[in-house]
Amino acid sequence: MVTEVQGNLSFRGGVHPPEKKELACDCAIEPGPAVKQVAVMLSQHIGAPCRAIVEKGADVEAGQKVGDSDAFVSAPVHSPFAGKVKEIGLCSHAVLGRSPAVVIEARAETPPVQPLWEPDADFDESKWSPEAICQAIRDAGIVGMGGAGFPTRVKIEPNRQMPKETLIINGCECEPYITCDYRMMLERANQIIAGVKLVKRASGCSRAFFAIEDNKPAAIEAISAALGDNELIKVAVVKTKYPQGGERQLINAVLKKHVPTGGIPPMIGVLVVNVATAAAIADAVVSGRALTHRAVTVSGEAVARPGNYYVAIGTSVGDLLEFCGVMKTQMPRIVMGGPMMGLAIADMDTPITKVSGAITVLTNKQIGKAKSAGRQTACIRCGRCLEVCPENLNPTKIAHAVKGNLLDLAQSYYLSACIECGCCSYVCPANIEITGYIKTGKIFVARQNKRMPQ
Amino acid sequence: MHDNITVSFAPHISKPLSTRTVMIDVIMGLAPAMIAAGYYFRLRAFILIAACVIASAVTEWVCNVVRKKPFSLGDFSVVVTGIILALSLPPMLPVWTAVIGSVVAVAIGKMAFGGLGSNTFNPAMVGRTFLAVSFGTLMTTWTVPATIDPNMSKISAENILISDVSEFRTQATPLAWSKMAIKNNLGAETYAEAEFLGTVTGAVGGCLGETSVIALIFGGAYLLIRRTISFHIPAAVLISAVVFAAVGYWQDPMTYVQPLYHLTSGGMLLCAFFIATDPVTAPLTRRGMWIFGIGVGGLTMLIRLLGGYPEGVMFSVLLMNAVTPLIDRLCKRVPASGKPKS
Repeated sequence: MVTEVQGNLSFRGGVHPPEKKELACDCAIEPGPAVKQVAVMLSQHIGAPCRAIVEKGADVEAGQKVGDSDAFVSAPVHSPFAGKVKEIGLCSHAVLGRSPAVVIEARAETPPVQPLWEPDADFDESKWSPEAICQAIRDAGIVGMGGAGFPTRVKIEPNRQMPKETLIINGCECEPYITCDYRMMLERANQIIAGVKLVKRASGCSRAFFAIEDNKPAAIEAISAALGDNELIKVAVVKTKYPQGGERQLINAVLKKHVPTGGIPPMIGVLVVNVATAAAIADAVVSGRALTHRAVTVSGEAVARPGNYYVAIGTSVGDLLEFCGVMKTQMPRIVMGGPMMGLAIADMDTPITKVSGAITVLTNKQIGKAKSAGRQTACIRCGRCLEVCPENLNPTKIAHAVKGNLLDLAQSYYLSACIECGCCSYVCPANIEITGYIKTGKIFVARQNKRMPQ
Repeated sequence: MHDNITVSFAPHISKPLSTRTVMIDVIMGLAPAMIAAGYYFRLRAFILIAACVIASAVTEWVCNVVRKKPFSLGDFSVVVTGIILALSLPPMLPVWTAVIGSVVAVAIGKMAFGGLGSNTFNPAMVGRTFLAVSFGTLMTTWTVPATIDPNMSKISAENILISDVSEFRTQATPLAWSKMAIKNNLGAETYAEAEFLGTVTGAVGGCLGETSVIALIFGGAYLLIRRTISFHIPAAVLISAVVFAAVGYWQDPMTYVQPLYHLTSGGMLLCAFFIATDPVTAPLTRRGMWIFGIGVGGLTMLIRLLGGYPEGVMFSVLLMNAVTPLIDRLCKRVPASGKPKS
């Protein structure tokens, strides 16, 4: 039964891109390709990169740690299957360019594990102490799987300066095309709820909201049913709007509070965890499994068999797309993530990381004529970018300040407050890459402040 | 596997909008006013609109060729400039004058600043101001609408001192008359009441596109519904105009006409919906739009009530255009989550 739900929790600004969820939303999460080789990136998170702790030629077991770091803000990486370390070399990374990775060759044809995991009926999170939960999360190498990749342990560990009281589970999935979180909520509601309870216990939050957009009534129903009469975890139905799943926007919509500009949610006592992360946490704490696989949506008009696949982290995009069948179209664009914030990649050997929730293959038709030709016209100051900016900035002024190399001016328009959601570029009639200019400006500023190499 | 993968910044999709679609929307919004102009001023309306559009387009093309810039007529912005200029001209203006106005509007008002998006002043108003200053008599020679007098005989602003209300329609534009009434201490009241219906439908003397209030409201509503313009500037212009007019009326109801009459006559609505809302020359932020609109409406009323001209729209728009960069600087947006610390 599908119930009609209407969420009125929202934020100011935002856009309504075509959802395109129908391409993959009815595809259950299936095992991904049985690959012969994976490249496990040593830096899949925000924070200190890992150092390889295995030698070339060494044998590794499934779930064995292959990279770790002593830094606090970091997360270890693990091998998804039993095999042999082929080499430790550089690999394409969507953000970092070339980045070190441990390349592991499978010992045998290893089918990807699909742990169908159901917590016991008498699941009780108080069996684990908060410290044990944090340690298990750290050992499993769990990072924010919604896209940011911030080490989860660092995030949920209680902090005396910033006590956390409210936990928000992010099940919005506001990006077009992506459906992996939706499928997780449908298929593994109990696992996610178990993870939520564990996070709640570990972080000391007193209440929790499960935020889901109102275009996913089935997920709302599944989660509500799994929650039963839990008083402390409530489902918060939010309006379908991009970027509803953005941490700051979600907090604003659910709690009507603003995270200070340049600040982080714990400053106002809030913790936001993605549903995939919650599921991984339950898996890690209860069964001790490391984060070596994740659900990835492969979608887009150019994909023959779009769907949601349970993929070994480190699988190359090329292998995954071959598995799903990509129609040979003229000049497709392969995007890691959704079309609004995802990163276009050029190297098909780029491996899937812990934060890659989707691969979207766009054709020229979706990208649009002007955009695929890269044709930009003059800004007519129509103000659409100001209307949609969820952070209430003046995108066109920032972009043109960066274009004119006036970083001081750009900063006076609060360049650093931009969350890079892409709404401004999306609505721009002149097709100006506003978000692109802003991102570039941020890099320039970081270089100026010597926080980034030239 | 693929040889032709392209990369670029996110987002990788965009709303199917372009400068051209925005401009076509504005042209659609102006369509009712153009039709009304055709109804009241017959062939003259179409001749002037065509002359202005063609002359503007040719000017932009020539400027592009001279400046070695790419072809830019495809965005249709120059068509909008031409139409707005034509709609703000007197019906019997000779075609050559309209052409001069269009050339000045586009060449000096727009292209000299660097083309679309870079101009400080509204190009159509630049062209109109040039004509008003250079060809004063031609620009104040009005015509009786064809629906009243099929010959569309000329009316002169000088010959106004008549007592019979029914003759007003053939004798002056509403605002010119009220101006003369102020000078000559005639009762403004009687005239305004007799003429109000005429200003609503458009059966009065005046510029091509400004006479029919109904057509302008239809067009403005279309733009508002399509969200091509936001309501802030029109609302600010109209509200401030009513307030200023009300002050005048309250001071001396025998000299100054009713506030509502000021809204329906002259270029007030054309300005509020189509001229002041030109995005290039108006402020970006909402607060700025309010200031800009209040400035336009207030200055217009000051000129109408106290100044030497019967109509003040073009000067007030140009004056406020000049301060738009300052307004933008004054009304900076503050991030939704407050200013960053340090």
